[in-house]
Formats: sequence, structure tokens, C-alpha cells
Amino acid sequence: MHRIPLSIVLFMLSQTAVTQTRSTESQPSEPMTVRPAPDTTPHQHHRMHIDMDGMVMNKNSETLPEGCERIAGEAEITVHAGRRHARRFNGKIFAFDRQEWSVQPCTRVRITLVNDDDIRHQLMIHELPVYLHPPFGMFTIELNGKGRKTGTLITPKEKKTYLVHCDVPQHMENGMKAQLKVDGGDGDLSSIPGLTAEETPDHYPVEWSNQAYALLCIAAFTGLTIPFLLRGLLRNRRSTSPTADQKK
Amino acid sequence: MSPTQRLILLFCSILSFASAALLFPRGEGESGVNAPVTVPIAQPSAEDLEPPCRNKKRAAWRQEQVIDDVPISASPMCEPDNPNAVAAFVKGTDRVAMETLMRTHLARDALIKGDDRDGDGDPDVIHISLEVIELNGSSPDGDYLFPTYNIAPGIQPGLWVFAPKTRGMAIKHLFTDEANEMLRAPSPVIRVEQGDTVMITLENTHYFPHSIHLHGVDHPWRDAAGNYNDGVPQTGERHVLPGERKTYTITPRQTGTMFYHCHVQTDTHLMMGLNGMFVVEENRPNNWLQTFNVGAGHVRHSSAAVKERYDREYDLHYQALDKELGSIIQSANDPRLIAKAMNRDYDLTDATEDYYLLNGHAFPYTLRDALIVAKPDEHLKLRVVNAQRGLLALHFHGHKAAVTALDGVEQPLGLQVTRDVFDIAPAQRVDLHLQTTDDGLHSYGPGIWLFHDHVESGITTNGLNPGGNISVLVYDQFLTEQGMPAVDRSIVQQLFSKRFQARQTPVWQQGEAAQLYGDTAPLFPPTGRVIAAGLLVGIGFCLLVIVFRSFSRSR
Repeated sequence: MHRIPLSIVLFMLSQTAVTQTRSTESQPSEPMTVRPAPDTTPHQHHRMHIDMDGMVMNKNSETLPEGCERIAGEAEITVHAGRRHARRFNGKIFAFDRQEWSVQPCTRVRITLVNDDDIRHQLMIHELPVYLHPPFGMFTIELNGKGRKTGTLITPKEKKTYLVHCDVPQHMENGMKAQLKVDGGDGDLSSIPGLTAEETPDHYPVEWSNQAYALLCIAAFTGLTIPFLLRGLLRNRRSTSPTADQKK
Repeated sequence: MSPTQRLILLFCSILSFASAALLFPRGEGESGVNAPVTVPIAQPSAEDLEPPCRNKKRAAWRQEQVIDDVPISASPMCEPDNPNAVAAFVKGTDRVAMETLMRTHLARDALIKGDDRDGDGDPDVIHISLEVIELNGSSPDGDYLFPTYNIAPGIQPGLWVFAPKTRGMAIKHLFTDEANEMLRAPSPVIRVEQGDTVMITLENTHYFPHSIHLHGVDHPWRDAAGNYNDGVPQTGERHVLPGERKTYTITPRQTGTMFYHCHVQTDTHLMMGLNGMFVVEENRPNNWLQTFNVGAGHVRHSSAAVKERYDREYDLHYQALDKELGSIIQSANDPRLIAKAMNRDYDLTDATEDYYLLNGHAFPYTLRDALIVAKPDEHLKLRVVNAQRGLLALHFHGHKAAVTALDGVEQPLGLQVTRDVFDIAPAQRVDLHLQTTDDGLHSYGPGIWLFHDHVESGITTNGLNPGGNISVLVYDQFLTEQGMPAVDRSIVQQLFSKRFQARQTPVWQQGEAAQLYGDTAPLFPPTGRVIAAGLLVGIGFCLLVIVFRSFSRSR
């Protein structure tokens, strides 16, 4: 885990203060030459909590979703994200340690994302109620590198399956995709590693093994007997029917 | 059974065969939820792998030494030039001790060094004999190539080279088809002194007509005897037929790094490898030159003028081969068939090159004999010729060199540009001054620094990267005892696999990458379709039997 020494944080904070005073003094028309030092102070803005380690966006631990009369229960989910979790899945590069979670409606869920990689990963949940998670109905935890962050949301009342993924380009496509089922969910999403098939599947070479040839031979021999069996059946029926003698 | 019934049964039989054929699973398939596993990379067999450097006995060749009074500088690479051949090239094959000559494959009359006309202590009448050698050519006696020359592990394109006149067997020893060390790409670098009378005799040992054109070297269009001297059949010269010889006589007045090549059917003959570097050195006293640099690369006995200004000298010959062109000489023996295929069927404008060679080898073989070895704070003289069909964009990692001469013409000091990519058009030559001064400009410090063509096709071998003309500029502290760059063996070993070079094994074989990017296991054919196809074949066959039996019964 990247822990930034306190002294550096303090130095950066002082630099931020200097930059801010400078920018108020300078003329607005003057071209910007000094890039302001990164803002390291935890920053509450539009329901976004951002710092040097990452951000949590649109958490909701208080407001009840429509139709929920009270918070029915508490749940805790810890999600690990990183390359090592994709080792279980052939042909995948990134993954979460689990691909599916089931929770009850109107439940307060504390979600902790643990990033086991040295790069950025996200846990993003889509299609939540917009009035709880404005403006797009999204809940996001993002980590800039190794580390962990926690955010809370309250599950809506509806029976629904929510997409959980990382939106860094090609991370979901390469395996970082999961689903959150509320009240059993309303079906499965495609291409969840180990759970569901892909919508546009890849094509792999097919090789005829000995077992395949054996299966083919057994099927062919079985097929060989079918017309004889049918004829036998037919003859039996004819011989028992009255028209059979006339034909002969 | 009535004919109508028979017809119906026959139709049903054909129908089941047809549907079986339709259902028969083949080609590719979809995997469903779980993708197929990664096939583990097989351990390469002993036959597949070669050691990165196999010439342990050449340790003695690497050392600095004096042979027949000829000082030969150290050449600490895996496959250095034979110092006995270097001595013969300096003294002349006629003057060098017979004992020394016997340690080479050279003929006694390969290089005759005559009178010292200006009395400055070195010979000024030089007679050079060149033969035309086919490498990796075919034989009517079996499915094999002879003599073989590998440009990389297991890769043997058909090619032609000029070679100093040799003697004896074309091969290394009796139990191999491998060509001896004199018979290799590229055509040798030829070094002569300004003002020398140089006779270059082309002895056409090949089955096709050839000539020599001295590109950029001062030569009269017709020599003193009135013979054509430019090597061009279209302006009067008769090409040299098999079994014939022709002598080109020149007295070059200007110095510089030049070029020579066959000018018969130049498009294909140059591309087949009949091209080399030709250097005219300044006239200095006691300037015994290494007339040939076979395989180009390190010059182990530099001229007086070069030694004055530089610590080391390297000849870098860049060459490209087209696999399809080379395969023409491997697919027939009758020269009429080869002539038709090469001169009238093959179309260079539709062709693409497949092999990019530096000094006759593609990476990783370049690590054996096409290294640039240096120490800190040295001055290196690099002579570069682009014998490729397209642009060469030569780039050195960690260094910026200065252009001292273009096409053999010394550039004024103010125009000696320092840069890290040198754009060299086909047939152009560039002389470079590379300093190993660690100042952040000329050098970023000691290391194992790649240098290669930055036209990216140049760093491939038949499409495989890493390959092509990649080599390294290595500071001597990073050389192993065997003269290989000190890179972890597991990284290097994979490159020396024939299967890897043939693109049969994954490129990323180290650590977890082997699992992530290995080959996918093939799928089992879809079970349902296998059973259905089997059943239908059985039914169809059975119906046929029923029809035939009813036929024979009705007769």
C-alpha cells in the first residue's frame, strides 16, 4: 500500500496554498505556466470524495430508496480487484475475486474495494436510482493503486441485477465484470467470467481427438441399425394388420 | 420393393449423407462459459535449441595477436574473424606463410600484392580474385540444400555472394553441409589504397552470367586496353558467362566508402546478395590494408589514416532478402527454368522482403559476430552501406553519432550532423563517428545498447520480432567470457530455438506471461453434432444397403 509520508503531504499542502494565492494575484489573461500542485486535501464535492488514493462517488448511507420504509438490514461486501484474481479464468487478464453477490432489498451495503494491482481499478455499479445517485445512477469506488476504500449504498426495493465493473478501457472486456443481485436479481448479464457466456464469443480451433472419433463411430454403428429396427417394427405391424395377407 | 420405394429410400439415404456433411463439426468453435486452457510451452528438444555461442575453440581467435608480422587487434565476440585470414588479407595470399594460409580456406592466388611503386613501404599493385557462390541452393540428388548458410536458427534462404577465391571443400568438414567461414553473406568488404592499381578479376564459378559494377569507386568507363569497365551489359560490356573470367582495372583517385554489385539483371542479382562495400583508403606510408573483410563487421587491421583518428572500426552492411526470390533457386536445378522464373515470372514490384540482415546475419545470430564492442571514451569509425531495397533508418540506443562522410565524400565540419537516426537510401553509404563519451549527448554511459533499423520491417525475420538487423553496441565490461552480451540466459536461449524462429512457439515465454499469452488448447468438437452426424451417416449407409439388397433380390 502506498502511504505518502506526512512531511510530503504537508509540503504539498503548503505548495497548494502558495499556488492559490498566486493565482488570485495574477492577471486572468496571463497564460498559465505553473501547473498547480495536486490538491491533496480530502474534498467533498457533488457527493464525491476524492484524495490522493482515489475516490468514492455517490455513496448513500442515509436516504431511503422509494418503497423502502426502513433499512431492512446491513451487509458487508469486500471486493478484491487485480490481475491475480483472473488466474482462475482462461483468457482473462483482470478480475474481481468474486463475480456475483446477492443482497436483500432496502439493505445498507458497505462495499470495500481492495486494489491488489499497482494501477488504477474501479468498482462501478450502474442503473441505480438517479434520485439517489445523480446524475447517472452510478456508484463508484476508484483506487489509484494498491489500497482500499469503502463506500456505502442502500439497495432499492426492486428485484434487479446490477452490473459491477471497472470502466478503465478493456478492463471489463478482459474479465473485470461481475453482477450484484438484489432480491435474487432479474437474470444474468453476459460474459461474467466463469458464470455466463459471451454475447460475441471468440472462435477457437477445433481438434478431433480420439474420443471424438470414437463417439462418431459409435453413433454411426447405432445409425446403421436404426433403419433395420424400423423395418422390423413396420413388418411386425403389417403382419398383425389384416391388409398384410392381401399384399402378399 | 417397387422402383418408387427404392427411389424414395435412395433419396432418403442421400439426404442423410448430405445432412451429416452439413452437421459435421469442423474448423472453429465457440467455447461457452469457460475459454479453453493455455497449452503449456513444451520444453525445446536438444535438436531444436542451439547454444547462444557454440564456438568455444575460437577463444584463441579473439585475442590480440601478430601473425606473419601482421598486428591483429582483439575481437572479443563469440565468432571473431579468423586472424589467419586477416593476416592473409593484409599480406596477400601469395606472400603470407603457407602455414598461415593452410589455416584458412583461401586459394594461393586469391589476393596478390605486387610492387611498391611509390616506395612508401606498402604494395600498390593489388590483384583481387572474386568468385560467385550460391548458398542454400538445391540439388538434383535429393531434397537438401548445399552448401547451407543459416542467417538465423534454422533459416536458410537461397542467396548469392561474391567471395574471395577459396580452395578445397566448400563445407566446414566432411560431415556437414554447412558452408565454410569464407562462404557467407554479405559479399566481402574490399579495401584498397588511393592511387593503387587494382585489378579485380571476376571468376564466374556460378551457372548464371554476372558482372561487377564499381558503384561510386573512381573507374574509367573503358580501361587502357579498351575493354568495357563499368559492368553494365546495356552499354556494351558482355556479361561474364560461367567458366569465364574478366578483370576490371582501376586506379581510384578519391577516397571513401563505396559500393560494388553485379549489374546483370540488377533488380534480382543485387537482391540475391551480389553486393558489397568497397572502401578506398587514404594513401599513407606503410599502409598495409586488410583487403577483404569477410562477413563485414569488426576491422581487425585498420588503415593508417583510420588508426590515427579512431580506436575501433566497424563495417556495417545492411541487406534485405525476399523469401520468394530466394526460393526460385531452391525449387529447380535446370538454369533455364531458374532463368525464366527469375527474369520473366518474378516481379520485384509485387515483392516484399522477408529477411533483414546486418553483416549477413539476422538477430540473434548478429549477437555472435555483428556486435559493436567499445570501451568508454573511445572514438569509433562506422562505415554503413544500405544494400536493402528500401530506406534504412539506422538508430543507436543511448548514443548520438556524427556523419563524417556521405557516399564516400567527406563532409565539411559544419555539415557533420550529429543525430540518432540516420536515413540512408538504398545503395547510399554513410561514415559515422561514434564517441563513447558519457556526456548525455554522445553517450548516455556504458551498457548493452541496441542498434537497429527503425523502419520496423527491418527488425523482423519473416515477420517475427525480435529479428532482422537488430544488434547491440556493447561496452566490453558487459561481455561474457564467450564474447556474448551479458544478458540473462533464459532471455537469450529462447531466441536460439528453430521452432521459435519458425513462429511455432509463443513470443512471451517468461514467467506469468507464458500462461497469459500462450496458445489456447483446441476445443473438443461439439458432442451433439458429432453424434448427429454419426447417426445420419449410419442411417444413410443402412438405407443404401437395403436398396441394393432389394435390387439383387428382384433379379
